[in-house]
Amino acid sequence: MRSRLLTVAGLAMALGLITAAPGAAQGPTPPKAPATVQRTPWGDPDIQGVWSFDSEAGVPFERPQALGTKAAVAESELEEFLEEREAERAERAPTLGGITGAGPTHWFEDWGQKSNRTSLVIDPADGRVPALTPEAQARQRAGGQGGGGTFGNGPFNSFSDFTNWDRCITRGKPNVMFPTIYNNNTRITQGPGYVAITYEMIHETDIVPVDGRAHLPENLRQWLGNARGHWEGDTLVIETTNFTDRTNYRGATSTLKVIERYTPVPGKGLRYEMTVDDPKTFTRKWTAALNLTPSVDMFEYACHEGNYAIKNVLSGARAAEKAQGAAR
Amino acid sequence: MRTRLFSVVAGVALAVSAAAVPAIAHHSFAAEFDAKKPVKLRGTVTKMEWINPHSWIHIDVKTPDGKVEKWMVEGGAPNALLRRGWNRNSLLPGTEILVEGFQAKDGALRANGRDITFPDGKKLFVGSSGIGAPDERSDDKPLK
Repeated sequence: MRSRLLTVAGLAMALGLITAAPGAAQGPTPPKAPATVQRTPWGDPDIQGVWSFDSEAGVPFERPQALGTKAAVAESELEEFLEEREAERAERAPTLGGITGAGPTHWFEDWGQKSNRTSLVIDPADGRVPALTPEAQARQRAGGQGGGGTFGNGPFNSFSDFTNWDRCITRGKPNVMFPTIYNNNTRITQGPGYVAITYEMIHETDIVPVDGRAHLPENLRQWLGNARGHWEGDTLVIETTNFTDRTNYRGATSTLKVIERYTPVPGKGLRYEMTVDDPKTFTRKWTAALNLTPSVDMFEYACHEGNYAIKNVLSGARAAEKAQGAAR
Repeated sequence: MRTRLFSVVAGVALAVSAAAVPAIAHHSFAAEFDAKKPVKLRGTVTKMEWINPHSWIHIDVKTPDGKVEKWMVEGGAPNALLRRGWNRNSLLPGTEILVEGFQAKDGALRANGRDITFPDGKKLFVGSSGIGAPDERSDDKPLK
């Protein structure tokens, strides 16, 4: 598998060691989105393929308050808007990267994108995630500072002190669909009665029955939740429930309900909308959206097998304890 | 002079994004490496492990007393390296390199790298285990 990966990459990429110019795409050209909605042999809308969400990676999840209800920037303002967005990102970067930083801007797959959108959240109209309920706030206070995994302050006594992402399990739904530093691709495969969605980061697959069956009983909980889909016209609608108590999506845990909608947009790609419905956590429902574009094939991401960091972080924590003990 | 139409806006965006830092990398540098232990390693590549979630470069480093230390240097994810132009020939065994990084918290011969320098001064960015921040350093001179 590994050698195949390298061969594909080797064919696809220039041999030079010097990395590409900012924003330059490398490798094969992505296919064009079909001009009409395609059908599978069994009659469902065909949304199969590899889809990228890189093109909206620079868009903040929530809209800056000063922009009010302005969901997109006018063409005449766009150049300056993007310039300032990138300049601000470059400026703050040193404070984010820790002492080693993480490299030049052309490293980042989300750099140089041209979206005119001001937030990924589209409802409420201010583009911001609604306030947490008092119950959710109390839950967060009770949870304390722990749970941040390698981005938190520890303690690191066991594998269970790491996040599901640290542990190569999943970034969690719906995070799996939103842009991150790399691996911003999703592969959709369909069969009669099923849609399978594979997320490149971590490489987990959500197998979604679209045959009308009911959700699993409430006592069965899953890392990605339990997904059930159906078609509304050309739109695939997926409702996911049965999350675990280790789910943590912006304050939501096991009561999280996510409703996703994938709609083919002829000539462009796929429209993805995701509604969070969790009255125990948020004061109202809210929705975020992404415009997906056709992408080239995904790479494998066997994450767990080589995840030396878990052992290294645990042994680092033991060494720190020992040093503290000796200092006393 | 250009007006900064959106600067207030960007300031707010900044605060929001900073809070969302855990969402942009696989794992953080701070939990694994010690910022108080900077290292500068000149060595010869013996192996490159193309493994996710982070690659590891193995190098033999000669110490002043003639011994050879075997170091492992953590780099970026293969998927990210490949998309940025790395390939299987980028760092062949036998290549002499200089790595600047930080040593593991447990004191083992492991470090994280960010960029490596070849004898001719050419630099190759390795992605490190950082979190997706652009370059914070301005020096692009060959390291001595």
